[in-house]
Amino acid sequence: MTPRIIAANLDVRLRSFYRQKSAMFFTFAFPVILVLVFGTIFTTPDHLNLDLSVQDLSRTASSTRLIDALTANETFRITQVAADVDATQYAREQKKNLVLVIPANFDAPPNHPLGQGGVAGAVPLTYVYDPSSTSVTTKIHLLDMVVAAANQTATGVPPRFKLVPASILPERYRFIEFFVPGIIAMAIMTSCLSNALNMNAELRQKGILRKLSTTPNTRADWLVSSILYQLILSAISTAAILLVSYAVFDVRLHIGAWLPLIVVVEVIAFAGIGMLLTPFAKEAESASAVANAFLFPMMFLSGTFFPVEMMPAFLQSFAKLLPLYYVNEALRAAMIFADDPATLRSVGVTAAFAAVAFAAGTFKTRWDEGT
Amino acid sequence: MPNAEHAIVVDRLCKRYGALVAVDDISFKVEKGEVFAFLGPNGAGKSVTTEIIETIRTPTSGKVTVLGLDVGKRKTEIVRRIGVLPQNFSSFDRITVRESLRYYARVFGCKADIDALMDLTNLTDKADAQFNTLSGGLKQRLGIAAALVNDPEVVFLDEPTTGLDPHARRQVWDVLKGLKKRGKTVFLTTHYLEEAELLADTVAIISRGRIVAIDSPARLTEQNAEKAQLTLESIDASALGLIRKMGFVPTRTGDGNVQVPVAGAEDVRAILEEMHRAGLALPGLDVRKPNLEAVFLKLTDAPSDDRPDGGEA
Repeated sequence: MTPRIIAANLDVRLRSFYRQKSAMFFTFAFPVILVLVFGTIFTTPDHLNLDLSVQDLSRTASSTRLIDALTANETFRITQVAADVDATQYAREQKKNLVLVIPANFDAPPNHPLGQGGVAGAVPLTYVYDPSSTSVTTKIHLLDMVVAAANQTATGVPPRFKLVPASILPERYRFIEFFVPGIIAMAIMTSCLSNALNMNAELRQKGILRKLSTTPNTRADWLVSSILYQLILSAISTAAILLVSYAVFDVRLHIGAWLPLIVVVEVIAFAGIGMLLTPFAKEAESASAVANAFLFPMMFLSGTFFPVEMMPAFLQSFAKLLPLYYVNEALRAAMIFADDPATLRSVGVTAAFAAVAFAAGTFKTRWDEGT
Repeated sequence: MPNAEHAIVVDRLCKRYGALVAVDDISFKVEKGEVFAFLGPNGAGKSVTTEIIETIRTPTSGKVTVLGLDVGKRKTEIVRRIGVLPQNFSSFDRITVRESLRYYARVFGCKADIDALMDLTNLTDKADAQFNTLSGGLKQRLGIAAALVNDPEVVFLDEPTTGLDPHARRQVWDVLKGLKKRGKTVFLTTHYLEEAELLADTVAIISRGRIVAIDSPARLTEQNAEKAQLTLESIDASALGLIRKMGFVPTRTGDGNVQVPVAGAEDVRAILEEMHRAGLALPGLDVRKPNLEAVFLKLTDAPSDDRPDGGEA
């Protein structure tokens, strides 16, 4: 292995990369755009539509109090529905997923509990809802809580129990904090695999390999320069993702010694997998297809965009066979929870993957085209 | 050092791919400082042999030495002292001519005079052009320049002019003549017989994995070629009879011309004088000297597709 040759290879690879704008885009800009788009969609607080249509057939002081309670603390945004329309028809036509109907006999005698039935003598408050809407469940819960509070006020009985939240996560843990480590892992995996496959296909297809094998350039030189090249790209892409996440979403993540270590292990793992996949990607055209066939399932099943726990059990077991799952686990354990033992466990599994894939890849790849 | 007086020694080289014998027990030597042309139809074992000498492939049996060094054992040393233009040379798409040459110079760890190399190969105008913007001829010339960065003692040029237009081909030939003048040993494989005839000191012809002829181009033609061919345009039967009476064996060709195999200029003069004496009009004529192409076609078979030849094997 010769440092001079490794430096020369690295120089040529970085220049080629810099001059290929589409590769630049997919390596650096694409993950950043993903962070911006998904971060904006899932971290904006009022993404839940809290509109509530109310048909007040009672029009009394008590019904006004209830409506005030519903709007207090900006719980609901109320739209009044005229008394002469059918609530169900209104909900259908106006595409409202929840319409509350306050009955004409709402102004019941004091100390008479409110409610939708079940309690004897309770005044029924009907809500018309669209069960196909995903946000309606949350809204019904909120509505329930407001009604319960109103019941309490009406009956004067103080609460017996109180729920106190205690999160397993540090403060202000939001979707974005979950998402950023996943995107870092995904960006590194994508760039490692597709660059390795494309470069190899190009070298092979164009016969550059034949020329290189008549120079002092050895397979080890080429391999080391490829790893260094991937590390540089990964470092830049990780820095870009973190910068944007901090600047735009003010994320709270732990950036420590684990992060660079995980990046190095991931690069080696996917460089190895790249080498193992090269026999299936002999031409530059098929290289990206092979890369995608491998990348997409990995991306969706390893918990990049959503927690693996959301998937059915058999898919969860499958996810645990994928190296990206452990990279995600390691990055989240380190960056969100600062949980060293958990990080170490996942890094260990990733490192084992990396060692096996890299050794197998090195063994399988022939520097010489034919012997 | 053994065989130090020879640049390349190939001794009983065999290369098999399973049951297929690509190179079948061949031996030859290349003198230092000569241009050695290695000819053969596609699939004859030409590229396989060349790539074994270049240390890209390994022999099944036999011994090959380059500058006295065994290709199987001393690859690292050999590689530093040879320069290779592989078949269909290609380089990194987005790297310029100057950067490519600088890259190869760094890989060899030598202080190459990049400007002089670009000058030699007529690439100075294109110094800052990226590889993917270059024409075929420019790419080949860059390949030759890249093969020279380490000032090699032996230069391998594998089909350096294939696919080039006549102008580009002549430019490559000029570069080749320059190499010869500087005392380099040049191992040239080519499909163009005129190229070998023009540039080579020695020509070896390989067919079906065996060397079928090896000598200087002039001697090869002398020994193997048919006689020169005299073509007489549209002559009548009496002239034909006259030529037959002189002891020649004329044949009519499809277009009404007559071809007469002749030994040399004396025969041509005799035929023309005889026709003149008989009062016949002198016809239009053409004399073809025997050439390497005729030798090549005589000694080799038509190309077959069932032999590995080149990188795809």
